[in-house]
Amino acid sequence: MFQQRLTARMSRRHVPALLTASALAFAAFTPMVFAQDSDTLVIARSMDVNSLDPARAFCDTCQIYLSSTYETLVTLAPDNQSLVPSLAASWDINPETTEFTFHLNPKAVFADGSPVEAKDVKWSFERLLNLKGSPSFLLDGMTSVEAVDAKTVKVTVTGPDSEFVNKISATYAAIINSDVAIEHGAVADASAATADTSENWFLENSAGSGPFTLAGYTPESELRFARNEAYYGTKSPFSTVVITQVQDAVSQAQALESGAVDIAMQIDPDTAASMSTTDVTTEVVPSFNFVYVAFSPGAATAEGVLTPEVREALALAIDYDGMLDFTVGGNGVKQSSPIPNGFPGTAGLPEPKQDIAKAKELLAAAGHPDGFTLSAVYPNDNVYGVDLNLMMQKVQQDWAAIGVTIDLQPQTYPVWRDQLTGDGIPVTAVYYAPDYYGSGQYVAYFAMTAGTPWAGRAGGKTPETVVNPAEANLYAKALASTGEASAAFYNQIGLEMIKDKIIIPLVSPNLVLAYKSDLAGVRYSACCNLPINEITRK
Amino acid sequence: MLRYLLRRMVAMPLLLLGIASVVFLLSQVTKGDPLSALIPERMMSNEQVVATVKAQWGLDRSLPERYLIYMGRLVQGDLGTSFSTRRPVSTDIAGRLPATLELVIAAMIFGCTSGIGLGIIAARFKNTFADSAARIFALIGSSLPVFWSGLILLFIFSVKLGWVSGPGRLDARTEPPPGITGLFTVDSLLAGNMPLFLEALGHLILPAFVLGWSVTGIVTRLIRSSLLEALNMDYIRTARAKGAPESVVILHHALRNALIPSLTILGFTFAYLITGAVLTETIFSWPGIGSYAVSAARSLDYPAIVGVTLVGAMAFLLANLVTDVTYAFANPRVKLEG
Repeated sequence: MFQQRLTARMSRRHVPALLTASALAFAAFTPMVFAQDSDTLVIARSMDVNSLDPARAFCDTCQIYLSSTYETLVTLAPDNQSLVPSLAASWDINPETTEFTFHLNPKAVFADGSPVEAKDVKWSFERLLNLKGSPSFLLDGMTSVEAVDAKTVKVTVTGPDSEFVNKISATYAAIINSDVAIEHGAVADASAATADTSENWFLENSAGSGPFTLAGYTPESELRFARNEAYYGTKSPFSTVVITQVQDAVSQAQALESGAVDIAMQIDPDTAASMSTTDVTTEVVPSFNFVYVAFSPGAATAEGVLTPEVREALALAIDYDGMLDFTVGGNGVKQSSPIPNGFPGTAGLPEPKQDIAKAKELLAAAGHPDGFTLSAVYPNDNVYGVDLNLMMQKVQQDWAAIGVTIDLQPQTYPVWRDQLTGDGIPVTAVYYAPDYYGSGQYVAYFAMTAGTPWAGRAGGKTPETVVNPAEANLYAKALASTGEASAAFYNQIGLEMIKDKIIIPLVSPNLVLAYKSDLAGVRYSACCNLPINEITRK
Repeated sequence: MLRYLLRRMVAMPLLLLGIASVVFLLSQVTKGDPLSALIPERMMSNEQVVATVKAQWGLDRSLPERYLIYMGRLVQGDLGTSFSTRRPVSTDIAGRLPATLELVIAAMIFGCTSGIGLGIIAARFKNTFADSAARIFALIGSSLPVFWSGLILLFIFSVKLGWVSGPGRLDARTEPPPGITGLFTVDSLLAGNMPLFLEALGHLILPAFVLGWSVTGIVTRLIRSSLLEALNMDYIRTARAKGAPESVVILHHALRNALIPSLTILGFTFAYLITGAVLTETIFSWPGIGSYAVSAARSLDYPAIVGVTLVGAMAFLLANLVTDVTYAFANPRVKLEG
């Protein structure tokens, strides 16, 4: 009865009005036609911004931001190997590779129209070093930076460093408009670490000479650039670029397919294969990122167990080909040493191989014929398309074949770090992406040389047990030589690091570039992630 | 009533300070490296960087010192600076709260109206197909995980059919309306920008539906059971005996009483969704408080954790107060006494 009354009230005269309202509502909520011909470029990404201040920032999204709004003296060419001029039109290096003189491009201007001068370079480098922010290590060893004249800068370093120019191609070595930054609390002198108050200003403003300027930033929501109309180089066809926060691969793929975004940056190969839209291009390209397992023989719960023979046995027990299939569906490559494939010195390094028989033999010789049990603590994350949980399950399975049991303990990132800096973790899983093109960064981080982070973690309270003196000597020689000679030393360091069996690279995952087919110039860069200014609409 | 309200209003700041103390101290003793949001993993072995950052953020001080400094600032309204975003927590919350409020209000409107409607139908046509259909719809709404229903509905209605807009509060190519309330639908109307209003509404519909569907489930079941109970009461029999139409009996007599028990649940549901809409916010890239809370917790961002907790606590305290007052108005037998 109640239903009949409701129906009766909805008389026929209401029907046209309802139909009109429905049509209007449908039209209103139907998404507009998006990407085609728009001069706004929208990029979907799960952002990891820690700061927008070049001297404090240190993240993948930061590389995209900094390379769009600032410029470095030199930059990485599209071949991802050679360095090409950017703010510096040319540069000279003394034979000892201790003095570097840069000649600035006379046309270079900041976004406010003022010229880029040697004083800005001097100020930016001194601030990067003195601020003691995350990327300060790039200039470790710089003893002086001198403005020879308005357009010439000379940098001196403590000892030979053939990789110095590579280091300053990192986006964090961006040149800042010093006058503007000083006005907003930025400090470059020795007191910078405590006296600089400009970080919040950098979250809302940029002060560079890049093709874009910062138009707005809302943490974990969007990062918006506006075209720098004063840019002295080739201007972007896009008046606005928006990096919009889209958390996961599936949502990014959906946003790309629906036309809400032009580029999706973190789609995994499986999700890419599931997309059915024809106006989306997907390219799978090799990356320089890698995921590895690391041993800490000096960890409190592993003392005496993870001897060199045992570490070698564990490395030999891993099914590296199966690991690629299991973690990234074959969309990745094996990596021999902690220096990624394609970097100087990696050609000809032996690929890791599984050898269960030899692994068992080594384990028996080391006094563990029946295996042993260890704990593996690692961040509960999915990085570069690799689920660390899945990866460690595969390791667990492989090691079970030689009688070694690992207790998997995925943790939140802060808890994992707490344990790593505390008593140490016998077995862990971590990841690495390059800051610039150069093998030195891997030696400075992974080599078993006194003072490197991983020598400290691996050795724990007895670092001398893991230190490999050959690596420090070879590194000094690599830095004192250039070109092929330098690469040959890095190759020897690579072999030594393989022998160390502390860092075991498991997967170098491929990257999926997924973008609307009307775009051109989308590519992966080892320094800058996604060079936005190279992107155009066809 | 006035004395009751005054007493509750006076107690509220004290309760919030107590909650802030507990959360602050708990987060300080939680296992984890507080520098993880401040220093990247690669730099955590660099003693100079670690010392500089600790000094900058006051992490080199003792726990009692940190507590006193924090509480001293809190009573002045300063929630501190987020480790992750490097911005004042109050700025972060002020930027995100309107997004959550807009989503939660829309979800509550959808959830309540559909829940009440379905509850009435289910009670009125008890044990019929209509009852079963309403209850199944409600059951699905309360049991389907949001991350699944959100993704599936987005795929069908946004990607495949193109009927609704995709993730986010607006298309990324659109400039937001001038910030007056922070609620894009309201601000676009205040700015007289109808196309922008429709775009904001188009983006709001799907996440509000997904979030509101779970509310529909709760409300439908509550209304159905309350209404069934009310329909068996003597005063309903009297109304029917007097010849009142069935719609009047249900809407004017039975529903008014059946709504009273739902008020408490609705108040708490609203407060819960303020910080509990995290999955919906994540799936729909909705920059609200829930996703901020999760991000803060994951990175041990103490100032943000305490800030979000205070917002959540405030939401619960206010919802509780509003529920109590509404309850007193709706049910004359309830007296609020100081």
